[in-house]
Amino acid sequence: MVPVARRNLFAEKGRFAISVAGVAFAVLLILIVLALYRGFNRTGQTFRDLPGQLWVVQRGTSDPFHSISLIDRARLASDTQVAGARATVPVLARSMNFDAGGTQVAARLMALDVPADLASSDLRDRYLPPEGAVIIDDTLRRKTGLSTGATARFGTESLKIERVRPRSPEVLFQFVWVNFADAQRIFGVGDVVMYGMVILDPGADPQAVAQAIVARDPGLQVYTKDAFAASISKEMDQTFLPVISILVAIGFIVGAAVVGLTIYTATIERTREFGVMKAVGGSGGFLYRIVLSQAAMLTGAGFVVGALGAWGVAQLAIEAVPEFATDFQLTDLAGVFVAAVFMAVLASFMPVRRINSIDPAIVFRA
Amino acid sequence: MNDCDERQILRATALMKVFGEGASQVRAVDGVDLQVCAGEMLLIMGPSGSGKTTLLTMLGGLLRPTSGTIEVDGVDITALKESQLTPIRRKSVGFIFQSFNLWESLSVQENVELTLNMAGVGGRTARSRARALLEQQGLGHRLRFRSRNLSGGEKQRVSIARALANEPRLLLADEPTANLDSKHGRDVMHLLRDLSRSAERAVVVVSHDQRIREVADRVLWLEDGRIKDIGQLVRDPVCGASVETDTSVTLEHEGRTYYFCSRDCRGKFQQSPERFTSGATPAPAMP
Repeated sequence: MVPVARRNLFAEKGRFAISVAGVAFAVLLILIVLALYRGFNRTGQTFRDLPGQLWVVQRGTSDPFHSISLIDRARLASDTQVAGARATVPVLARSMNFDAGGTQVAARLMALDVPADLASSDLRDRYLPPEGAVIIDDTLRRKTGLSTGATARFGTESLKIERVRPRSPEVLFQFVWVNFADAQRIFGVGDVVMYGMVILDPGADPQAVAQAIVARDPGLQVYTKDAFAASISKEMDQTFLPVISILVAIGFIVGAAVVGLTIYTATIERTREFGVMKAVGGSGGFLYRIVLSQAAMLTGAGFVVGALGAWGVAQLAIEAVPEFATDFQLTDLAGVFVAAVFMAVLASFMPVRRINSIDPAIVFRA
Repeated sequence: MNDCDERQILRATALMKVFGEGASQVRAVDGVDLQVCAGEMLLIMGPSGSGKTTLLTMLGGLLRPTSGTIEVDGVDITALKESQLTPIRRKSVGFIFQSFNLWESLSVQENVELTLNMAGVGGRTARSRARALLEQQGLGHRLRFRSRNLSGGEKQRVSIARALANEPRLLLADEPTANLDSKHGRDVMHLLRDLSRSAERAVVVVSHDQRIREVADRVLWLEDGRIKDIGQLVRDPVCGASVETDTSVTLEHEGRTYYFCSRDCRGKFQQSPERFTSGATPAPAMP
């Protein structure tokens, strides 16, 4: 078959390029917003990565970032000694500013008091610095300029950067892993801890253990690690989803408008040519296919450019803004592709109406 | 039933087209009857605004008449819905336009191929048929050219190849020589005549171009939407001019009628008929 749609589109290369750029911009906007949302939604992943399956908090604590939980350490130790619980790790955590070479930087300090028999080398490497030292991630290093061996001041304590871990998925706050004894001094909380991280025996039922702990001490509340992490993303959803939905809708409308206007203009310009097609026996379906093909090609090219552009922009943004967290998911890409197809169909509506209204007798007019 | 009835391709009966209403009403075509048979080339002439193009548009199924009927290859196209007219235009009618109306973003070959695609012919078959048609028109060396880069004569030949793509039996040509110089105009005229003869097609041409009278089998004069049959054109055996049988000077010679443009020519013929009759064909003596 003669590639009429392609010929029509490429007949005006400049306009084609501008239109592809327009669609690409829309796709880029949608993908970046979705990737940002996914990236932000991974906040709390640290709680999933830690070895504990349950998190014990003071009853009423809504989430680890915006709610204070204070538990007496001895009470935590005794009330979590239930069947199925192998160990309970006291956890100190607090968001606070620290002095990084004269600059105040916000971070989340966290300290685990892991029993020696459970402190594997991996845990030590990631979360358990020796006394007087901290572990930070690459995002915080780039934000603060602190590198291994440098010193930062946390309250009245000066602590050395023991090592820098790869970038973590946490967006809102970067974690600074502190030695438990240092954290006790910095926070000044004595024998009070914030949470208890419960490590279960192999095969133990998390729900049963949680119920047993609460039955023993109704002043405590137990989250599974997923629920604890989700309590953060839930807030993210409530705050950002409406905004993101609007941005995605704007991106979709911009894309559909660009494709629609381009195809409509191309149709208007070629009114006579479409009239000739009708006159010499081109059926409605034949002409609609041309318009749809044009829209599909434009949208397809815009989608590819936009998707590649989104990835490129994200890489550049990460270079410029350390906290810029994106997570491109295949399902989002597929969803945006489906939206782009819908965009093409929607954008073809007006041009098809226009073609319907073309009088084939136009061919005999000079 | 005469010979043309049996080989009839186009018949219009009491065809009328009225535009507007009330005081502003215009009868663009007013009671036209015509019949065109296979192998015939009909020329419709007339002043500007006489309704020629309106008539051609209706004959091609692009405009519905106010009243009357049009039969193309035995099918009353005035009774058809738009969706039924489309295949008629695709398969039974070929259009040739004054301004060529080529698809400028396509190559010469694609212009013809696309018409075949519309009829469901695709791939290699469409390509080879398009090539063959264009080669017949002497455009084998222009297949990949963009149509906008062709000369007027070449464009019109592409337009003719496109019109022939689906082998229609009726060709409708609107001022096919108007945008061409005299040489190319003459080429197109003869091509149209040959097309009517070679494949039992009917060709209807609307034109102001007097030169087409030389090659047309019949000329109709349209004025104020009404038709006047000018008559059959024959060649003067003495000077070679085209003359109308109705208005020419005639002479019976050896049982045949000869037509002349003037008494002078008839006189020359009478002086030595053998000079003009050897190998010459008496009426109808078309070139």
